[in-house]
Amino acid sequence: MHELSICQSMLKIVDSTMEQHEGANLRKIFLDIGRGSTIEPILLSEAFAVLTSDGPYAGTELVVNDIPISGRCRECERDFTYEELSVGCPNCGSTNIKITAGLELDIKALEIDD
Amino acid sequence: MSRVEIEKKIQSENDRVAEANRKVFTDAGVFVLNIISSPGSGKTTLLEATLDRLADKMNIVVIEGDISTERDMDRVRARGASGVQINTGGGCHLSSGMVAGVLDDLDLDSAEIVFIENVGNLVCPSTYDLGEDVRMVLLSTTEGDDKPMKYPAIFHEASLAILNKIDLLPHLTYDVEKVEREIRVLNPDSEILRLSATTGEGMDAWIEWIMAKLREKKSTLT
Repeated sequence: MHELSICQSMLKIVDSTMEQHEGANLRKIFLDIGRGSTIEPILLSEAFAVLTSDGPYAGTELVVNDIPISGRCRECERDFTYEELSVGCPNCGSTNIKITAGLELDIKALEIDD
Repeated sequence: MSRVEIEKKIQSENDRVAEANRKVFTDAGVFVLNIISSPGSGKTTLLEATLDRLADKMNIVVIEGDISTERDMDRVRARGASGVQINTGGGCHLSSGMVAGVLDDLDLDSAEIVFIENVGNLVCPSTYDLGEDVRMVLLSTTEGDDKPMKYPAIFHEASLAILNKIDLLPHLTYDVEKVEREIRVLNPDSEILRLSATTGEGMDAWIEWIMAKLREKKSTLT
């Protein structure tokens, strides 16, 4: 439920980037959002629409790269997804696991009209 | 049409302010704990019981985060803490900027420990570093034993998990071993303590844990 606050932080980064491209129009924002990041992409898009509706970014598209949670067993070195994780490593049962992806909350790039 | 690469964490500004907070806390020599849980799991009751055991030995600062009211601050002040209440006015978490805004109101120089009681919420606070030394999650037995895998981010982030209200176990269907196993799957390095802030069971181990962390912090400063 903190998508509004995350959206405001994202817009500050967008603003400072767009200042370096005076006169350009923003078309797309590319994001990496892990499923374990606690951010729901649909709610983020809604927050973005509300915050930008009457400004220069109105109509900009959020392009979300949705990254599943995955892990690696530190005992048997098997890689697996979060869905397989509930009782430990699906291969050897160990709980000694490293989460390797799915916690991302990154702004990757912008697409602009020069 | 052109592409501008950014490659930045959206939380980078919050993280920058959190690092500045961490420096202020470290310069003052205090140990800082960020306490996260859902509403009603016993954060304030645990703080009261903790203050009853420590407040006559050292100065303790509490930063209380709530959407509204000063109720929690009133409770911990009555047990000997100083500090401030932050009202987020609807916000579901504390941010590093909110903590930075109250640092001047805290008596850090004479304090040993700062407890930050976050807004009751198992989701949003996990995304916000406040500048703490240790992030801790509190889970009570009445919330059910399926929570770690349903809220993986906070259990992955927290280096201490406290299972509170264990005095109620005889009345509940709650598999403690299952909860601890799920926490270990999400964070193999997590420490886990079982306690009841109401009956006092497990409180000795919790106080020992705090004192060990405080000594550890002090040893890095000299």
